[in-house]
Amino acid sequence: MQKPTWKSTLKGYLYLLPALLILVVFSIYPIIKSFLMSFYTDYDFFSDTVNAYGLENFTKLFQDPNFITALKNTGIFVIGVVPLSIIISLAIAVLLNSKIKLSGFFRTIYFLPFVTSVVAVAIVWSWIFHSDYGLLNYILGLFGVDPIDWLTSPTYAMPALIILSIWKGLGFNIIIFLAGLQNIGNQYYLAAKVDGASAWNRFKSITLPLLSPTMFFVSIISIINAFKVFDEIFALFNGRPGPANSALTVVYYVYQKFYEEWEFGLATAAAFVLFLIIFLFTIIQLIVGKKFVHYN
Amino acid sequence: MRKEALSKGTIYILLSLGAILMLLPFVWMISTSLKAPNEVMAMPPVWIPSEWQFGNYSEASESAPFGTYFFNSIVVTVLTTIGELLTTILAAYAFSRINFYGKGIVFAVLLGTMMVPGEMLLIPNFVTVSNLGWIDSYEGLIVPWIASIFSIFLLRQYFFSVPQELSYAAKVDGCSDFKFLWYVMVPLAKPALITIALLKIIGSWNAFLWPLIVTNSQELRTLPVGLSAFTTEAGIKYELLMAASTMVILPMLLLFFVMQKYVISGVARSGLKG
Amino acid sequence: MKKVISVLSLFLVLFLAACNNSSGANANGSDADGPAEVEFWHAMSGPHEEAIKKFADDFNSTHDDITIKPVNQGSYEDLQQKIMAAAKAGNLPDMAQATTNVIPEYIDNKFITSLNDFIEDPEVGLSEDELNDYIEVFRDSSTWDDTYYSLPFSKSTRVLFYNQTLLEENGLEAPKTWDELQEVAKTVTKDGVVGMGFENSYEAEFQGILKQMGGTYMDEATGEPEFASKEGQEAMGMISGMIDEGIARTAGEDEYMSNPFGRGDVAMYIGSSAGIPHVGGAMEDGIEWSTAPIPTLDGEAATTFAGNDIVIFNQSEEAEQKAAWEFMKYLTSPEVTSEWSMLSGYLPIRQSALDTEEYQKFLEENPAYKAGTEQFDAGFFIARVPGGDAVRNIVLEEMDYILQGMKTVEEGLTEAQERAKAELQ
Repeated sequence: MQKPTWKSTLKGYLYLLPALLILVVFSIYPIIKSFLMSFYTDYDFFSDTVNAYGLENFTKLFQDPNFITALKNTGIFVIGVVPLSIIISLAIAVLLNSKIKLSGFFRTIYFLPFVTSVVAVAIVWSWIFHSDYGLLNYILGLFGVDPIDWLTSPTYAMPALIILSIWKGLGFNIIIFLAGLQNIGNQYYLAAKVDGASAWNRFKSITLPLLSPTMFFVSIISIINAFKVFDEIFALFNGRPGPANSALTVVYYVYQKFYEEWEFGLATAAAFVLFLIIFLFTIIQLIVGKKFVHYN
Repeated sequence: MRKEALSKGTIYILLSLGAILMLLPFVWMISTSLKAPNEVMAMPPVWIPSEWQFGNYSEASESAPFGTYFFNSIVVTVLTTIGELLTTILAAYAFSRINFYGKGIVFAVLLGTMMVPGEMLLIPNFVTVSNLGWIDSYEGLIVPWIASIFSIFLLRQYFFSVPQELSYAAKVDGCSDFKFLWYVMVPLAKPALITIALLKIIGSWNAFLWPLIVTNSQELRTLPVGLSAFTTEAGIKYELLMAASTMVILPMLLLFFVMQKYVISGVARSGLKG
Repeated sequence: MKKVISVLSLFLVLFLAACNNSSGANANGSDADGPAEVEFWHAMSGPHEEAIKKFADDFNSTHDDITIKPVNQGSYEDLQQKIMAAAKAGNLPDMAQATTNVIPEYIDNKFITSLNDFIEDPEVGLSEDELNDYIEVFRDSSTWDDTYYSLPFSKSTRVLFYNQTLLEENGLEAPKTWDELQEVAKTVTKDGVVGMGFENSYEAEFQGILKQMGGTYMDEATGEPEFASKEGQEAMGMISGMIDEGIARTAGEDEYMSNPFGRGDVAMYIGSSAGIPHVGGAMEDGIEWSTAPIPTLDGEAATTFAGNDIVIFNQSEEAEQKAAWEFMKYLTSPEVTSEWSMLSGYLPIRQSALDTEEYQKFLEENPAYKAGTEQFDAGFFIARVPGGDAVRNIVLEEMDYILQGMKTVEEGLTEAQERAKAELQ
């Protein structure tokens, strides 16, 4: 490519202009703005004037028992969803990869929930979770399990949310794992077979290590996505963060403070904390990911 | 030859069981949506309605303006997709084929913003949109979403794979940059563009939080927002609720069935890129 | 009346012609040549929404120069959020329903119109007699420092719904006291039926029982919450006790009690009188039901009056505001308020509406609607303070903790009171 000239620079920015305009206004500016807003301690949304700045929002945030609950719940959600989802999707991906007919057909089915509206499927699940007339309690009843108050008891609200989220996100992980599995050269398995390694041993000593970069990637993406959960909760519990705040997550807290209570400073401060958490995981991924990935 | 850990049969059984679990909610949704009210709450559950109540669908559309929601979802989806494709094509071309001052910095800044979760942008963007007077308007629903950094990167990679010689040849033929981009690069990048478009279509069809906060009137609600409001509007009539959910879900399922190759390759690429 | 309307129409036509030059900027799109279009945001659903649509249609057909456009905004919370968002963006509707709790905030942010000018207007205003015909308590709750910012519209009280068929099968009658109610609930709780039901937001019941026990929810004068008192704990203990015992439940995932009550899963419940048509719609065939006044406690009767007013926003052009005022008068006229009451279960807000033969006859024929109007004497309002909405959310949240057994009654109420105090400061 030629060296940049002023003429090519002009041309370059002209081509970039439409995208840049939107991205600057709706992606870059809000990042800065949001950082500033988290220090607004007295803000009048209606006249868009800031009367006072300070660190108060952050101290207030960590004194608010609801924010602590939100952090805790988000943590539980991440721990509940990520490992289970990874184990199940890895197992399914390995099965799908075992050169069977219909593997494409199965892949399609497992991927279906991923393309559907979170709100719509959450509403469907809220019907399945209904304590008296729900399908799930009926099926559990066949095995002698007493009806569970999935959506109205604080004990079961989180498990219900986790079940929905795993179901919804499985397809994505499976696709990534399949792509990872297909990248593993067949020669390893052939060699192992010749050596007489058992299927389990082959999985343990070839698949897992060679798949580790993919697994690492899937874990980080899943963790980040799990930290951002909102739509599911809103639809599953009909516009409330579960019984007794049992499904109040960080994003839901942001939504409450921002859109229900108009506490813009507090809301952006909470969003900023979320950003820091996610940023941490992104950094881990960038550093560890670089070390991990090995190209054959 | 050693025995495999699992026989083909076992694999099929396991995968089928899983598939049934994945499909069950959809089946149950459609089944409920076609039931008469007294069968909805029946125990044990009725799987196949004794009489198919297609009327539930029209009743749901009458209890809330789902026609309007549907129209809005289509308008928003189509326009954001076209908008994003245009901005993406131009930007990706600049990043892959034009050398200009500041390119590295601009690129790095954009890369950096990808790490920021969209939830953090929500509040300032809401303020911006309301200062622009775009609350409850198509502009507010569409404009913030017509550029995507991820898509630009995806297409940029694709453009890199097009041999440089092609552009020299085109230059010799007196083809302008823009014509070259439009008549040579874009057709060559069709698979990537389809993937970008499909991911965008799915994303904006299903988008919820943003449309929820920027729309006020029924006239501008998109399907997911209308559906979530429907739960309070109609009381809880599960057959109608399920009919409405089916209307939201079905278009994406159909689109996915037809174009699944592109969707899956797009998702796989988004994953492998890291 | 006809004459007034025609004079009015003429006035409005002139008015519209006058602003012919200036309009066009309005987001709500008043077509300069066409009728004034008035957007009316509300949170009414089902049969209530039908009624509002009917009133708008009736009004539109008699007013060529005004078009009322009702828009449903979901729940009260949704409505409130949308109004705040629209206020900022400058695209507020012309008028809306609003709970008395949130109006102080609208006044503070200066986006609602004081109605005094309209009321005192010799042409389109209300006469002294007309104004006094609005039931006094409702009038009081619409004024802030002698300024009217709203008119009462959808005002309700609590009533006891009961499944007559089921109670009769058990040889029981609708309970008149809380003791009787608990007995009845105990007797009929079996075979998957729960005796008593409470709405998910049952703070009104808590407030009612608290009042019956002689306690105060919030001090009128100081605006200090006092509900964590001994009486408060007893009142809350009574509700949570019934639920723990299994003879009562909340609506839970059914959202509103009308759903499980309609299926026959719950034998009785206390809810808003405005729920009557919803219950009528949810009722399965073969179940007879009716309503009764709220049970007394040691001879004390008390129930909260709640509901919504209607307000006009000042972002609209004068013509639209004027048109909105016309519709506001129409909605609160004796004829419409009595029809509204018959269709919706809300209370008539005009004394003269209550006294009409037609309304009295309606009560005879529809005894379910009677309980509400029988309770005017027992009715009371919760102190109206800025921030009252936030307090309500706090109380509901803590009550949820209590019911779920995550806090004791004492802990929950004390915590709620502390938080409410902090919020009101």
